[in-house]
Amino acid sequence: MATERELSDFLLSVEKRAFKRTVYHVREEESALDIVQDSMMKLAEHYADKPPNELPMLFQRILSNCTLDWFRRQKTRNALFSNLSDFESASDDGDFDLLETYSSSDPSQQVESAEDSTRRAQILREIESEIMELPARQREAFLMRYWEDMDVAETAAAMGCSEGSVKTHCSRAVAALSKALKAKGIQL
Amino acid sequence: MTTTDPLRAQKLADQFGRHVAMRLDAGTTEIPYEVSERLRAARVRALQVRRQPEVAPVMVGRGGVATLGWTGWFHRVASVLPLLVLAAGLVLIHGLMTERRASELAEVDAALLTDDLPPAAYADPGFVQFLKSGGGD
Repeated sequence: MATERELSDFLLSVEKRAFKRTVYHVREEESALDIVQDSMMKLAEHYADKPPNELPMLFQRILSNCTLDWFRRQKTRNALFSNLSDFESASDDGDFDLLETYSSSDPSQQVESAEDSTRRAQILREIESEIMELPARQREAFLMRYWEDMDVAETAAAMGCSEGSVKTHCSRAVAALSKALKAKGIQL
Repeated sequence: MTTTDPLRAQKLADQFGRHVAMRLDAGTTEIPYEVSERLRAARVRALQVRRQPEVAPVMVGRGGVATLGWTGWFHRVASVLPLLVLAAGLVLIHGLMTERRASELAEVDAALLTDDLPPAAYADPGFVQFLKSGGGD
């Protein structure tokens, strides 16, 4: 069972990412704060007796459900799920080659490249904007997989879908983001 | 030119994803103060509602024996007492009603038996049928 300190530390470690992720989904800071608070309360109320290593998965699931509930309440669920691009084949991405857009980069060099804070902030805004443009499931899979650092199986469990779906969502998200950022002249 | 090596493509995709995540991580440090404070308040509230393991209220006597204490037993009995009174009241009312109905029926029967039969009754087809069927014995 997680102690109060462990629970507090866990919430502290995830609250900002959870807030930003929720903003990407709902596009309203106020609602995002409510959703994150709801998720924290539910985790603490119902799952505080779980071991600390189970908390991340539980919290991601609760956060997803709370976000979905918010969309239901807003009566925009149809809009959320009517984005057929979630289910379409990737035929339009068939000629996309990640290597063409990405292989020329040297990651270590680029991560460490010095940019002023204005430029960094601008790039961040562009990335966030493109992430918000992704279909909901792709965005969710991508953020869980790479930002929350969950593996494919954990992401699949949290999203309630198969591992194959997670891989597909992530692959499409990476392709779309890479293509969009390249079009804007942004190299990571 | 297309990526033919799936492993390399996956590696590049993972690398790209991690770089995006690093950028996003940097963005979390720029969250406004008000938002940070509200998140902190939400965390504190969540910790307050944290479910505590349920502990039975047990008093330990001087002899070291766990006991609920006299007040505990008194509260238990006191909570059951109104139900017992209600049940006893219902049984009593039921008995009184049954007795009252029986006495009313007995009075009607007695009045019928002791009354003279009016002459018009013999002309009533229902009474004739009643006599034929042996009801008059």
